[in-house]
Amino acid sequence: MLRVLLAKDLRRAWRNPLPWVINLIVPLAMTALLGMVFGGHSENDALGHIRFAVVDEDHSLLGRVLRGAANQEQVTEHLEPVFMDREPAMKLVNAGKISAVLILQTNFLRNYLTARQPVCLELIKNPAESIRPAVIEELLGATVAALNVVSRNFNSDFPEWQKAITNREDYHQVLSLIEREGDKIKAARHFLNPPLVSYQKEEPAGTNSATSQGGKLQTSPAEPGNGIFGYLLLGMSAMFLLFLGQNGMTDLHRELQKRTFERYRTMHQQVWPFLLGKLVFVVVMLIICSAILIGGGGLVFRIHWQHSLALVALGAGYSCFVAAFFAVLVALVPDERRAGVLNNLAGMVLGLAGGCAFPPQQLPTLLREHITTRLPSYWFANAARNLQSGGDVLWGIVLLKLLLCAVVLIAVAGWLFQRRFKSGLRA
Amino acid sequence: MSMLKVERLSKTFGAIRAVDAVSFEVRPGEIYGLLGPNGAGKTTTISMISGLLKPDAGEVSVAGAAFSSDPQKAKRIMGVVPQELAIYEELSGRENLEFWGRMAGLSSRDAKARAVELLAALTLTDRAQDPVKKYSGGMKRRINLGCALLHRPQLLLLDEPTVGIDPQARLNILEFIRNLRASGTAILYTTHYLEEAENLCQRIGIIDHGRLLAEGTLGELQERLGGDRLFALEADFKNTSPDAWDGFHQRFRVIQKSEKQLVVAAIGARDPAECLKELLSLPVRVENVTLKRPSLNDVFLQLTGRDLRE
Repeated sequence: MLRVLLAKDLRRAWRNPLPWVINLIVPLAMTALLGMVFGGHSENDALGHIRFAVVDEDHSLLGRVLRGAANQEQVTEHLEPVFMDREPAMKLVNAGKISAVLILQTNFLRNYLTARQPVCLELIKNPAESIRPAVIEELLGATVAALNVVSRNFNSDFPEWQKAITNREDYHQVLSLIEREGDKIKAARHFLNPPLVSYQKEEPAGTNSATSQGGKLQTSPAEPGNGIFGYLLLGMSAMFLLFLGQNGMTDLHRELQKRTFERYRTMHQQVWPFLLGKLVFVVVMLIICSAILIGGGGLVFRIHWQHSLALVALGAGYSCFVAAFFAVLVALVPDERRAGVLNNLAGMVLGLAGGCAFPPQQLPTLLREHITTRLPSYWFANAARNLQSGGDVLWGIVLLKLLLCAVVLIAVAGWLFQRRFKSGLRA
Repeated sequence: MSMLKVERLSKTFGAIRAVDAVSFEVRPGEIYGLLGPNGAGKTTTISMISGLLKPDAGEVSVAGAAFSSDPQKAKRIMGVVPQELAIYEELSGRENLEFWGRMAGLSSRDAKARAVELLAALTLTDRAQDPVKKYSGGMKRRINLGCALLHRPQLLLLDEPTVGIDPQARLNILEFIRNLRASGTAILYTTHYLEEAENLCQRIGIIDHGRLLAEGTLGELQERLGGDRLFALEADFKNTSPDAWDGFHQRFRVIQKSEKQLVVAAIGARDPAECLKELLSLPVRVENVTLKRPSLNDVFLQLTGRDLRE
């Protein structure tokens, strides 16, 4: 009988696919939009190249050194600096073609070597982007910290450096100075490894942070910067699977309203087969939808899913939970019009409080510590994100928890329906 | 043996007594009409018989066995056609029939064969593949009826199956139901259309406010009014009353009285000409007298004091 019920519902969904299609398109579109806003397009899990302009208004040796360094392999792996004047640089940033503009102001090198002013670099960030300008800012912070360290330790040699550089750039003198500084560093090598100075941005406790050490960008696993589309898509999928589940289970409202459920009851004493049939239908539809969202979305955004099998299992478990959850809501409020508001609200709360739409770390403390971690939407989204970012996650336990929730909710829904039918439910 | 026996069935919703000690029975090959206005308790009665509602009191027996002793067995014997169109609009007529056939316990092959048979009987073969949402109201009603017939039920419960359709479509459905009866199916037919009850049903139960007020064949019900004819007098009855007329209530039964009209039936087997003479000699200026056969509406009027069509 389940097979017949499932075939009937699938056929009906096939003939009226619009509600399903809308709920599939929206999360993909939102992922694309948010991905573009927060990080630009990405071809793989990494952040991709960060393109930014360098405006050298100082016209000193440092600018030329930077220009040469820009072609080094270690730099071009992540960064793509473009040297130009301020005006075209500003045009590019306004057109959204670069992530930031770094300006070396007039007399930067002279001020630095004479230690007249603290180190000052000007950075203009692209307001349409979030992650990439932030990465440049972090790198710049590290650079400034390093320059200050050099200034503190080598300022006795600075007059000679200035003389060498300004005196028609006497490279012999520069060479002897480098040699001397090298000897100094060599003498202090035992104090430099591990380095006495490092740079780390101050972060609130309990959050993951992006760190820059020794010029190498490292991104912690759960950070959105690591595969922004993957991170967003998993959250959006968790959120929209709730709406899709709601849409699927709304069919049970219609079965009540159109009296088809009642007709079934004139043929059978037990309501369980009909309810289970509807649950199986919704679960099947959600699995298909999650395959389209996660699989199709993965293809569209070129995301390589790290643990596909575990992700599929988690998606199936989450689908069971979602279907059972909305079955309970239908049993609680059988009238479709009244239930619409409640279902939407429940889906939104479960999705937002579960940290599906944005990183759960950004939720208010009270919510994050006392509610979010208890929500199945969080279990799924968090486990899937951790799987994708290579973090440690016992996905089997999460799957078991989701299935257990689904079983309990199905039992509650069945009991509520039996009770309502006994009291003469007519939706 | 009756196919359906209902004894003192009662159901209360809060303060409202929807069905109050209703008793009747339906025999094989008989159409029993349950006639009453909207809200009379017809659907509640059918819901209790089909097991959708649990009665507060009373007993339902299907084919000689109490419904409560084996509800599933009773449900296999009966087919229920709800008042609403309980069909899937996205599916075709054939798919709807096949699906409900499978739900009724038929194998896939039997359901397919029976669907083809029913589509032909319901004259829907040429539209069998179209989605039901493209059907006319009458066609939807026919499919709604067919969905209850896949398993060849011995007892058919029809809850106002012709509501909201055009006269031609209604005639088609009534003809189909007559054929079902001819094949020996016992049919409980609820309606608020007098003509349907008069033309279709062998026996009729009149229900109002949850109570079965009278039952019998059309002739028996007419007999309650005093034979096969009624006298309708047109006059100004504003300032006069039959109570004031000497010996009137010994000779006539008042069926209906308004300011302009008085409908009466003669008590006992009396000559109509004699009755007419007596009526014309009443102390009121009679403008017109009509002699007519009593209808079910007159019976309902006499039983409830109001018109069924109100």
